[in-house]
Amino acid sequence: MTEVSEETSTSPAPAPGRSRGRRRGSGLSEVALARVFVTPAILLMALVALFPVVYAAVLSMQDYTRRTHQGFAGFDNYVQALGDGRFWDSLVFTFVFTVTSVAFEFVIGLGFALLMNQAFRGRGITRAAILVPWVIPTVIAAQMWFFMFNVTPGFINTVFGLGNFNWLGQGGWAAFAVVFADVWKTSPFVALLLLAGLQTIPGELYESARVDGASMFQRFWLVTLPLLKPAILVALLFRTVEALRVYDLPQVMTGGAFGTESLSILVQQYVVQTPDPGYGAALSTLTFILVLGVGMIFVKMLGKELVLGGEQ
Amino acid sequence: MTTPRGRVGVALAAAFSLTILPACTPSGDGGDEEGGGELTWAIGGAEANPGGIHQRIAELWSEQNPDTPITIEVLPEEADQQREQQALELQAEGSGFDVLGVDVIWTGEYSENEWLESLEDVRGDIEEAVLPGPLESATWGGELWAAPYNSNAGFLYYRTDLVDEPPTTWEELCEVATRVGEEEGIGGLVAQGARYEGFVVNWLEYYWSDGGELFNEDQTAVEFDTETATEVTEWLRQAQEDGCLAPGFNTAREEEARNEFQSGNAVFMRNWPYAYGLIQDDDQSPVREDFDIAPLPTFSGEGTISALGGFNNGVSAFSDNKEAAKEFVVWAATNEEVQKMLATEASVPPVAASVYEDQELADDPVMSLLGEVLPDARPRPPAPSWNEISVEMQRALFPAYNGEAEPQQASQQVADFLQSTIE
Repeated sequence: MTEVSEETSTSPAPAPGRSRGRRRGSGLSEVALARVFVTPAILLMALVALFPVVYAAVLSMQDYTRRTHQGFAGFDNYVQALGDGRFWDSLVFTFVFTVTSVAFEFVIGLGFALLMNQAFRGRGITRAAILVPWVIPTVIAAQMWFFMFNVTPGFINTVFGLGNFNWLGQGGWAAFAVVFADVWKTSPFVALLLLAGLQTIPGELYESARVDGASMFQRFWLVTLPLLKPAILVALLFRTVEALRVYDLPQVMTGGAFGTESLSILVQQYVVQTPDPGYGAALSTLTFILVLGVGMIFVKMLGKELVLGGEQ
Repeated sequence: MTTPRGRVGVALAAAFSLTILPACTPSGDGGDEEGGGELTWAIGGAEANPGGIHQRIAELWSEQNPDTPITIEVLPEEADQQREQQALELQAEGSGFDVLGVDVIWTGEYSENEWLESLEDVRGDIEEAVLPGPLESATWGGELWAAPYNSNAGFLYYRTDLVDEPPTTWEELCEVATRVGEEEGIGGLVAQGARYEGFVVNWLEYYWSDGGELFNEDQTAVEFDTETATEVTEWLRQAQEDGCLAPGFNTAREEEARNEFQSGNAVFMRNWPYAYGLIQDDDQSPVREDFDIAPLPTFSGEGTISALGGFNNGVSAFSDNKEAAKEFVVWAATNEEVQKMLATEASVPPVAASVYEDQELADDPVMSLLGEVLPDARPRPPAPSWNEISVEMQRALFPAYNGEAEPQQASQQVADFLQSTIE
């Protein structure tokens, strides 16, 4: 570190006389310095982010059951996973969960954001109220919704006079309850991201649109939405990637019963519970590839958006 | 510095950090360096918290053995998470835990992983004091791996204001539950029907009480009877359709079941002994004066069968203080005062035979029923693969009784899986 600070102090102020030192300093500065500064961050990332991923990939090629290591297995674990009905069942649920929950969260979140962006009396309280669900830890929210939906104590059934309707104890409705709880929990997060985007749109644009005779719907469709696109993509990216990894909500609310077993629940079951770390690592690597793929599509769209936005 | 060289440098640095990482992993050191003979007891659950019975027993030992005092490392509430905490320490061969609270179904896994010290040399002392069921649960491969500590068994709770005599067969129970439940407008039977280990325990009680078996005695051959399994699963499915099972049966664990019964919403409940004291002490409960406990019914009407629960204390193979730890586990299993404390100061069923013969406790309804039930209580096989078997049984049998799979197919699936675990 001391070496670095020496170089930084020499490079901007050309030292008189010693030309060799100056040349060395200016040659190193830009690129090399950037590297030096970035290295600790990259090392840290490698340690906490890359290492587990690589380790899981290595582990997934091993025959490793009940904590006894039985040697190299090649792609056996992957072949087993792709031929396993449970993997496909949980993949289907994970996709259905992701698509439905993210769609509802986006629509509701956008509504909230537009509302919070208006100037009206009581805006502070409205903003705070909308954000409350986001502040509650997911496991606690999940336990709360379990109590709300479950037959005992059955708050929802009591409020709506539904008798003993078994929300969490039958196919279809169990998945509905999990999606519902997730939408409740995470819509405020989408709203927050979109609100930040809304606030970057200059007021003059709306004014000139109004002068040109644009209706409220046209102003929303032709001004707000196109300018909000980067914020929307960021919000969808975050939500989609997170929804694909969902674990806590279905685990607490249904334990994965009635077709609500997400990929992460399946992974946890094999890595921790049985334990079958080799097979579990293969499943988690497949989940990683899936999340990475979806994430990269978003990042690509986002990159294009930013470049295009820059050109305009 | 050229760009490719830079990349190589970063890659090298990353590779370097990867190779040294395992070496940096702390290998779980206990308090042994500072304390000399101090012992650490890794056990979980409500009674391990300050004020709980495990704490009081630890204090008693520390008073009597000031050279080797013991402190509790409180593990999580859920058995699965306790196992994971212990596994993390033991897999790293850490000496942080000297005494391990081992659930009756972990014995096989722990001993095959060589995490436990054999207790064969103190077997005589333990054998003469402890009930045979718990002793069997601490044995794997013919060797004793842990000293039994506390036991557990399922009871049938019933409403004395609605039912004159507790039923002796499951069919009779369902007949009464459906009829009385309808008359009173409440649920019939509540139990542990959610998709988790507790459901497997409940299902096994039905299956065993219909004459079914999982393995032969030394667990070398599968004796799973698919016909009995199908019959039992179809019965449970029918019971759900007929309204014998209370609404919400298939999402209930221990506490949901207790709440439902305690607030007067069910005629019968299958639960562990802990619920007895809690219902009795609840002034708000409409049933606190109107319930009693009985042995679980069977399908034949003869005798009773309950799944055996509880914890055994094992000595960690990586402990720095094995002799003292061994003395402690034997003491906790055989000392009459300790074993009696479990029964009198908490509703934790002891393992010492003498406590069940104690005249002072003869009037205690929980203790006398336990004395009746425990000799016939059966451990789930403490095989190393038990967790896999349990998960497979949950996946196969839970949808089958909920009408989402065929009981016949589900039973075959369990049979095939059991076969695969011994091959």
